[in-house]
Amino acid sequence: MIFSKEETILAYTVEKCPKCEKLNRRAFSKGDVLFTSSSKCTFCDGIVVIEKIYGEILQR
Amino acid sequence: MFSMSDDTDPLMMLVWVIPIIIFVFYGQQIQLIVTSGEIKKAIKKLDKFRSDSKKELIDYVKINFNSNDDPTKKIEQFLDYFTIMPVDMDPNGIVDKVRHTVRSREDYTRNHIQSLSPNIDEIELNRVQTLLEIASSLQMIHKIVNHMFLTAKKQKNYPLILPLQMMLPFIMEHAKAMNASVPAFKAGQPLGDGIGPMVVGKMMLNEEKEIISFQTALAKINYEQRKLFLVKAKGPGSTVGRPDDALQKIVSNNKIDAIIMIDAALKMEGEDSASVARGFGAAIGGIGTEKFQIEQIAIENKIPVFSIVVKQSVKEAITLMTKEIADQADNVRSQVYEMIIENTVEGQSVVVIGVGNTAGVPQ
Repeated sequence: MIFSKEETILAYTVEKCPKCEKLNRRAFSKGDVLFTSSSKCTFCDGIVVIEKIYGEILQR
Repeated sequence: MFSMSDDTDPLMMLVWVIPIIIFVFYGQQIQLIVTSGEIKKAIKKLDKFRSDSKKELIDYVKINFNSNDDPTKKIEQFLDYFTIMPVDMDPNGIVDKVRHTVRSREDYTRNHIQSLSPNIDEIELNRVQTLLEIASSLQMIHKIVNHMFLTAKKQKNYPLILPLQMMLPFIMEHAKAMNASVPAFKAGQPLGDGIGPMVVGKMMLNEEKEIISFQTALAKINYEQRKLFLVKAKGPGSTVGRPDDALQKIVSNNKIDAIIMIDAALKMEGEDSASVARGFGAAIGGIGTEKFQIEQIAIENKIPVFSIVVKQSVKEAITLMTKEIADQADNVRSQVYEMIIENTVEGQSVVVIGVGNTAGVPQ
């Protein structure tokens, strides 16, 4: 057990702009739901849509 | 070195002989003590999982349900509810009996959660129902493992503890996965098991949807001169819907030429996580009643059933979806379209079912 590492799952939300196709990854925030429009695209005037929500394991 | 010559020191002989005698007469008890240590540690962990999940559930209900009454007592009552499976001495009609028992339990739980807060919305209701199922399962696992351990200890019966010792790593894997799934359910995040609904949900976007069976959504679309019936559990609440009932309704009103099922499947040791595989037959887990009904419909109507599965571990299936699984969604979707073209001709109809828990996945 002394060699076991503590695992933390970090949740991410990936947004995609349907207009310029740019992807942006940010930390998951409460209320994020797949396929919903979330905010304005930072590259063009499009509205980004949540494409993926996933977790990555961080070992400490 | 091991010779028993006359000049052997009697004291040294005792050092050899005494342990042998002890092991001959008390070997089983010694093994029981050694094994008990490992099992005790596991039971302690299971007890922690049990109490943590219960606490998380009670806290969640207290925060999110605007109820003046303390829900602790009612929740504790729900956790102790058990299900007696129907007798299977005569297997004729057993599937209907099991389905009835399981659905009655689900309906009962749902109604009683609703009684805690009558104005609760469906998403919250499903979430609490799932958390309740997790807490209840963890409580049951702890109870059974503890019972088997205490019985073996009481009887001082080492062979009785062997099956438990063998099964414990698998039991712990499931219990750890269930315990780790609580934050994802609370936050309404998609799970690894949600890959099927995620694929079909995206195909349904911007299409007209209807509720075809309990907590199950249907969208009808056209693709390359073929009619597609897209079915998935109604998201983004935590539910698996009733795809078997949905299929029954579709088939009774339409001529269906193929069924394609997309689901998560448990990977074998050594297999890559998030690998995609195609096959035949109904890809659906659970207690078996839904699989039975889907197979029955397929046989009666002579409809071939194709499936696409995304391999994953138990933990990956019920915790927040991993990047590797999420990245496969587009690939699986293109494989579904490929499968439709390969196995049907123009003018035919296909039912595409996204099987799995649709938590965090709308349509």
